Amino acid sequence: MRLLRLIRIFWATALLAEIEYRVNFLLAALNSMASLAGALFGLSLFFRHGATLGGWSWNEALVVLGLFTALSGLSSTLLTPNLNRIVEQVKDGTLDFVLLKPVDSQFWLSLRRFSPWGIPDVLFGLGLLIYGASGASGALLNLPGALLPLIACVVILYSLWFIMATTTVWFVQIYNVTEVLRSMLDAGRFPIDAFPSGAYRFVFTFLVPVAFLTTVPARAVLGLAHGVDVVLSGAVAIALFACSRAFWRFALRFYTSASS
Amino acid sequence: MIVAQDLSKTFRTASRKPGAAAFLRYLFHREYKEIQAVKNLSFSIPKGSICGFLGANGAGKTTTLKMLSGLIQPSSGTVRTGGFDPFERRKDFLRRITLVIGQKQQLIWDLPALDSLRVNAAVYEIDAAEAQRRIAELSELLGVSQKLDQPMRKLSLGERMKCELLAALLHRPEILFLDEPTLGLDINAQQSIRSFLREYNARYGATILLTSHYMADITALCERVLVMHEGSLVYDGSLQAIVDRATPVREVEFELSQPTTTDVLQRFGEVAEHSELKVRLLVPRSELTHTLAHIFEQLQPTDLSVKEPPIEAVMGQLLRDGKVEPIGTPIQPAADKHEAVRV
Amino acid sequence: MFEAIRLWALKIRVQLAAQIALVATYRAEVVLWALSGTLPIIMMGLWTKAATDAPAGITPVQMVRYFAAVLLVRQMTFVWVIWEFEQDVMQGHLSHFLLRPFSPIWHYIAGHIGERLVRLPVVLALIGLCFALYPSAAFVPSLSDLLLGFAVIAFVLLTRFVMQLASAMMCFYTDRASNIETLQFTAYMFLSGAIAPLEMFPPQVRAFAELTPYPYFVYLPARILMGEPAPVAQGFTVMTLWGLVFLGLQQIGWRRGLRHYSSYGA
Repeated sequence: MRLLRLIRIFWATALLAEIEYRVNFLLAALNSMASLAGALFGLSLFFRHGATLGGWSWNEALVVLGLFTALSGLSSTLLTPNLNRIVEQVKDGTLDFVLLKPVDSQFWLSLRRFSPWGIPDVLFGLGLLIYGASGASGALLNLPGALLPLIACVVILYSLWFIMATTTVWFVQIYNVTEVLRSMLDAGRFPIDAFPSGAYRFVFTFLVPVAFLTTVPARAVLGLAHGVDVVLSGAVAIALFACSRAFWRFALRFYTSASS
Repeated sequence: MIVAQDLSKTFRTASRKPGAAAFLRYLFHREYKEIQAVKNLSFSIPKGSICGFLGANGAGKTTTLKMLSGLIQPSSGTVRTGGFDPFERRKDFLRRITLVIGQKQQLIWDLPALDSLRVNAAVYEIDAAEAQRRIAELSELLGVSQKLDQPMRKLSLGERMKCELLAALLHRPEILFLDEPTLGLDINAQQSIRSFLREYNARYGATILLTSHYMADITALCERVLVMHEGSLVYDGSLQAIVDRATPVREVEFELSQPTTTDVLQRFGEVAEHSELKVRLLVPRSELTHTLAHIFEQLQPTDLSVKEPPIEAVMGQLLRDGKVEPIGTPIQPAADKHEAVRV
Repeated sequence: MFEAIRLWALKIRVQLAAQIALVATYRAEVVLWALSGTLPIIMMGLWTKAATDAPAGITPVQMVRYFAAVLLVRQMTFVWVIWEFEQDVMQGHLSHFLLRPFSPIWHYIAGHIGERLVRLPVVLALIGLCFALYPSAAFVPSLSDLLLGFAVIAFVLLTRFVMQLASAMMCFYTDRASNIETLQFTAYMFLSGAIAPLEMFPPQVRAFAELTPYPYFVYLPARILMGEPAPVAQGFTVMTLWGLVFLGLQQIGWRRGLRHYSSYGA
């Protein structure tokens, strides 16, 4: 419970600091709306000639896009501000101070910062998800069943980010490795079936598991998920999270033995 | 060369009181606070002189220097540097001046100084051969000739500062504005920069305005000081004069051959320190010889020395309070004193 | 007169040399930035599959070529001056530029050109990847197409630079001016043809887009490189008009902004 209190304090001070810039707040919300409008427009282009997107209907595709937008907002709110800080701290050598604190370092580094700028995205994304799900008949009833894949996808996203951030302990100069990851995650706006089979599907299922980030949970929400998918997404989530922890411990051993 | 008349600068900052209610109000209606950084400064600095700007942090020194170089526009008053209005930033004006800010680098961090110097040479229209000559001369004087082809981030702070100075002087400016040029440097680096500046001034007759926290910089370089306190000029004149005015006393330190009480010592002068056998007295200069004779006669001290109180003490008080009280309290009228001494 | 031009050219050349040397010291980062521009490859996969029944007359092969060209164009016309300028204003580095008798703008231009040269090999490698995925679509543009394409890309780079520089003037007033750029970027992404060729747009949206400079930033040069008919004259006209408007705004913003910068402590 102390952890929860800590989180509350972290986020309250961060929020206060950020809201100073009221112009910013407005701009962030505006940006979210514009981005979403653009994404919807881009998506609509695929449906113009009465086609489906890899067999997904318009409403079903909206669920995928909504989920992606919400996850994107979550990234901006929690992942980017915290994990970018890791790089800075490694560069400045202030990571030592974090390691000295009586709190688990991964926890501290992951949740220390909170940026409200991503919240509009989360809200819009969830709204879109619900809209799309309700448009595809009866799908709202499947939300409980979709809980596991949804949690799994958040865990997967976090683990991927954290693993990327951990690599910066070695490669301080090339911290924008995370940018490469982020650009590939863009594929998550679209259901995996929209991609040609072969290289694309392979990469986006096994290398950058975008399929588990948006397609599988979307299927679950729509009641179209196979049991296998659900179990698999859970397994991938657990595996990736364990990886991120193990990798972090390994990195710390390297960091503490190499620091000057 | 540099003339300022009633120069003032006021900054506006948004002020916010703590607390949630005040914060909400702040979101919708901003209140502004005006800070007068510089108040009615007037002075005139002749060509070729080296002047020191002294003042506590926030006294307005850096703001003044930035106004003189044209980076900040005054709120009121006039300033002319080398005959130009600095804020117009004419090319002819910019070619004649340089501003060095202690902790800020203009040289590119990841590249050797030589690369940045080439850019400077081109920008100031110095032809390549001449630039080579000047770089050789200046780097020789500064002692960084071997360091110019290493990336800046590999050099020590002192070496970096010297390279910054080199870059700043490549175009042989007539007017140098130096804001804390020796900040954070070790003793050797400080000393070499001081002698370099003296040399530069002697060779090229440049006018140098410098701000510093280190009295050693000021005493080594400046005949004239301008002291600022909370935005106003509280003193403008020679350094020696202010030191003399502030220290009409001398410190007399000695060791007693046998212990005695503080009361006894007080008859000779103000007791600044008295512990067991060690004594430090403050004695007015006019009374010095007289008092010394009495001390020798009556106390038989061992190991006596006479010193000026440290300049820092004087200046510290000046910077802190904006004025100087003579150090040491007034001694009692002459009649009583003779009485006291005859014990 | 000629002396002035010669001196100006010398200053540019020296700054360019310094910027290239600088970019070379962090070429690894440049490579990564280039690698993070993979959206065209993603869109290529999606549209190639969607084009199997050739909607609006575009075949899958044309889709591949289009997005490969889009990749090149986007990478070569990317502008970041607003972030650089923001840093320089916030850290007071701008003051150093202001004290020199040479406009700071050339420093930023030199930086952009220098970076392009280091980025080019990576971009070509990525295009190679596109053609490796779809060998039947591999092609090399004709010489005249390449030259015209290069000219248009250079002009696009200039226009985007001017437009972003105008937004950068807001850095004098707020320290999050780059957010303005994000808004503009969204418009760019969805109107320029970066996500789909303009033929796929509903006619009204396309007509609206063609009034903005965005389609000419991506769609136009991509079509030229593909060897397909492209609205060149229209593109130059619209870009010039918008460019001049933003140039005007930038000049005003610079003067006002400098005054503000000097009021708040340079």
